[in-house]
Amino acid sequence: MHPVAPAIAAGEGAVTMPQSRRAFLGAVAGASAALVGLSCKGGPRIAGTFADDGGAAGHLIRDGATLAKPRERRRVPLVIVGGGIAGLSAAWWCERQGMRDFVVLELEAEAGGNARAGRNDIGAFPWGAHYVPVPGKRATLARALFEDLGVLRDGTWDERSLCYAPQERLFWRGRWHEGFESFLLDAPAGRAEWSRFSERLAELRAGGGFTVPLSIGAPASSPLDSVTFSDWLEREGFRSPALRWYADYACRDDYGTRAVDTSAWAGLHYFAAREHEELGPLTWPSGNGWIVERLLERVGDRVRTGAAVRRVTLSGSRAVVRTATAEYRADAVIWAAPIFLAAHMVQGFPSTADVTYAPWLVANCVLDRWPEDHGAPAAWDNTIVGSPGLGYVVSTHQQVARAGDRSVWTYYRSIPGVTPAAARRYLLRTPWHDWADLVLDDLEQAHPDIRSCVSRLDLRRYGHAMARPVPGFLDARWRRTLQSSRGPVWYGHADLGGISIFEEAQDRGVSAARKALDRLAGAYGASGA
Amino acid sequence: MPAALFATTLLIAACGLVYELVAGALASYLLGDSVTQFSTIIGAYLAAMGVGSWLSRFIGRGLVARFLAVELLVAVVGGFSSTVLFLAFAWTDAFRLALYAIVVVVGILVGLEIPLLMRILRERFEFKDVVASVLTFDYLGALLASLLFPLVLVPQLGLVRSALAFGLVNAAVALWGTWLFRAALGGTRALRVAGVAALALLAGGFVYGERITAAAERGLYADDVIFARTTPYQRIVLTVWKDDLRLFLNNHLQFSSRDEYRYHEALVHPGLAGLQGARRVLVLGGGDGLALREVLKYPGVAHVTLVDLDAGMTGLFRTHPRLVELNGGALSSPRVRVVNADAFSWLDTSQDRFDFVVVDFPDPSNYSVGKLYSTAFYRLLTRHLSRDARIVVQSTSPLFARASFWCVDRTLREAGLRTAPYHLYVPSFGEWGFVLASLGEPYAAPTQLPAGLRFLTASQLAPLFDFPLDMQPVPVLPNRLNDQVLVRYYEREWERINR
Repeated sequence: MHPVAPAIAAGEGAVTMPQSRRAFLGAVAGASAALVGLSCKGGPRIAGTFADDGGAAGHLIRDGATLAKPRERRRVPLVIVGGGIAGLSAAWWCERQGMRDFVVLELEAEAGGNARAGRNDIGAFPWGAHYVPVPGKRATLARALFEDLGVLRDGTWDERSLCYAPQERLFWRGRWHEGFESFLLDAPAGRAEWSRFSERLAELRAGGGFTVPLSIGAPASSPLDSVTFSDWLEREGFRSPALRWYADYACRDDYGTRAVDTSAWAGLHYFAAREHEELGPLTWPSGNGWIVERLLERVGDRVRTGAAVRRVTLSGSRAVVRTATAEYRADAVIWAAPIFLAAHMVQGFPSTADVTYAPWLVANCVLDRWPEDHGAPAAWDNTIVGSPGLGYVVSTHQQVARAGDRSVWTYYRSIPGVTPAAARRYLLRTPWHDWADLVLDDLEQAHPDIRSCVSRLDLRRYGHAMARPVPGFLDARWRRTLQSSRGPVWYGHADLGGISIFEEAQDRGVSAARKALDRLAGAYGASGA
Repeated sequence: MPAALFATTLLIAACGLVYELVAGALASYLLGDSVTQFSTIIGAYLAAMGVGSWLSRFIGRGLVARFLAVELLVAVVGGFSSTVLFLAFAWTDAFRLALYAIVVVVGILVGLEIPLLMRILRERFEFKDVVASVLTFDYLGALLASLLFPLVLVPQLGLVRSALAFGLVNAAVALWGTWLFRAALGGTRALRVAGVAALALLAGGFVYGERITAAAERGLYADDVIFARTTPYQRIVLTVWKDDLRLFLNNHLQFSSRDEYRYHEALVHPGLAGLQGARRVLVLGGGDGLALREVLKYPGVAHVTLVDLDAGMTGLFRTHPRLVELNGGALSSPRVRVVNADAFSWLDTSQDRFDFVVVDFPDPSNYSVGKLYSTAFYRLLTRHLSRDARIVVQSTSPLFARASFWCVDRTLREAGLRTAPYHLYVPSFGEWGFVLASLGEPYAAPTQLPAGLRFLTASQLAPLFDFPLDMQPVPVLPNRLNDQVLVRYYEREWERINR
């Protein structure tokens, strides 16, 4: 096929032409209703359901269902509880160190935790975490993983794994705009404030305390951790609505909390932890599910899914891990599941962890055709200003093939509430069709005919998606207590850092694995980090 | 009464403008080059309105009846204008004749309306008020139409039904007029019968509009001259003007049969002629089979794989007699294997290696096509090259889109290839550029070309690799999947040309 001739290209844009008159003639009947503002709420039926979540099994444990005699008893040097990024990273590390004799127990039917993914005839799509910012030079552990996965070779990041252009767009004033900057810079006051904010961030960044993961240099406490992000912004005189929206969005997006509830240190971490990254994040059609798949290729044969741990008891220097059907006698246990569960299950759990969790909703929308779309072309990450949601990610964006008509959009919504418990009740008690309506109402702001394009909408509810980094989270005593555990149970989960991001989960998982391996090496005189 | 009269003015003005816009849009749609289409149509239409206004002086008696008759006539002619034009495009060689005939007839009728209306109203109101109000509502009606047209009519109804819808409005206004002006009319019966008939006709057209265009397209298949079809990927339109056969994809000219040989000879031979022993060739894009035709001039080439996304394209160019004549039946050659797939995905899964690769994609005008011009794509392509293989990449115009052209060159080099950029003049495109790339030795121009060429000679090759001052390299970044600078360069450069 050949290029565009200049004379012809000259006419482009004079009139918006239908791609196919037949298609347009055919669309008349359905579309003319939308034109007068009658969205077809009662129109095409949209199928869907709540995708399986671990809540039921989890609550069974909480409510203390009785345990029958185990059908299987096993001795195993190491049990890893939790098959999310933390647990799989711990397993990956053990494997790397040549210690292959472990078992990973996962509550749900599939490993991956918040990084799980789904697949249909269109392709793969994330069910949760969907990217990892390009790790900086100091994030050695993340870099080691990506070298292992072939994403980082000789200091060069694999172009296929970097987010394709255009990466993000923002919907405001009735149309999409490429990137976030134009929104922040729109008003003259916004421009001045944004540059002042950027300067402040540069100062904070230079201080070196905002690291990813936290363990490589974050302070054990900080004055910034004693105020909320909103209060800090107010105190510093950052008052433009655009910047305030962005700050709040950042907190909801990364932590599931509003800026008024988030520790200023955490809020600033979102902005100051990373250099301005030209490369864009690492992402895959299945989001971080791609990493999960790669990790499972390495350790998946030792992952037991549907294995809900019911109790961890101590017996001398060993631990006994009970599931509904099996009992594992282990020399070491890595607790790589959310910390609030440990309080229910681990004998002698050392402290009352006053950690609260933000609930999340993730919707995967199957689109049979692309909806109306005004302004900048579709990006990977698409955010609507003023929306209660966090926007959507186009899962087909990261496919190299030319996009077809169909796509899957992964829509994210954190559910901040008066209290996390109230928000959780709201999340769990709202029926599917109401949630589906809320999701579509939100998307409708930017895509008026979205309801006629979506044929299926599945929802996954995360009651306890992530620990909330509220003021004081940095120097919470329980975190230090858990980290200084002397075994046989070691704790390795993102909750220990207090911010739920990939590198944090990986770092905590590997760090627990190191300690456990040390113990095992001491016990057997073999292997070790 | 006044309100009704001015509503009439507003509506007929809107109708008048819609017919004009429909003609302009349809002509740009089918013929391309919308600047020319719109200017000539607006010019012809306004001139015809002038003629109509002048003719109005010859209408003396029976002003109201004549006015309503004109209304009905314009309703039918204007309302069916796009239907007739689509059919003319499909079935006849006289599309332009039909286009301008309809534009002129509608223009004359619309030109008659306002003078007649003013004269009718002059007998009832102050003349200064008549002029002021009629012209006010005339212009407001034009505004209404100009906004409705791109925002509502075209997207919701399409061109055929937009014209018919406004024909219905026009006829309804005329019918309403038989009541409004019944005092001034001798008998209303004939006009009312005609009005109802016009309404019925237009309504029928509106209901069956879809079938009419479908019939037109079926006509296009059967017709050896012209073809128009929408595939899942693009709209393919073939036009013939005298001996010039042109292919448009999404309204963009892909080739003109008068000079395509320049483009395709230059695309294939500088790279392939010097490759002794090239047996396996890959063509990416190029579903028209024209690059293929050039490749097949080498008897040593035993296998050619052509990967084109659109089965509609390759199917058309394999079967349509005019096109088969043009590409010499290349797509049916036993040496050719046609694969309808996305080139990037196909390369991802294929294990084949090739001695020569022709990369002939549409220009990088959006992020979707831009992926096929990225370092990742070229790196993937190098995995499919034999040791001395060469790639040639169609790289847009080094004159009109200088940064874009050099960006393709830079991207190939970034992917580890050694490049040799060149350019030529293709009358229907202007200055055009290609980049040869290889993993091996620096490029040396071949001393011999295959027989039967119409443009290239061996001694002509060296100057192609020489760039005059206004096409020389500019500093650019490579195009990467995660940062598609090429799409931005391209957008900026063509925008500048188009202004």
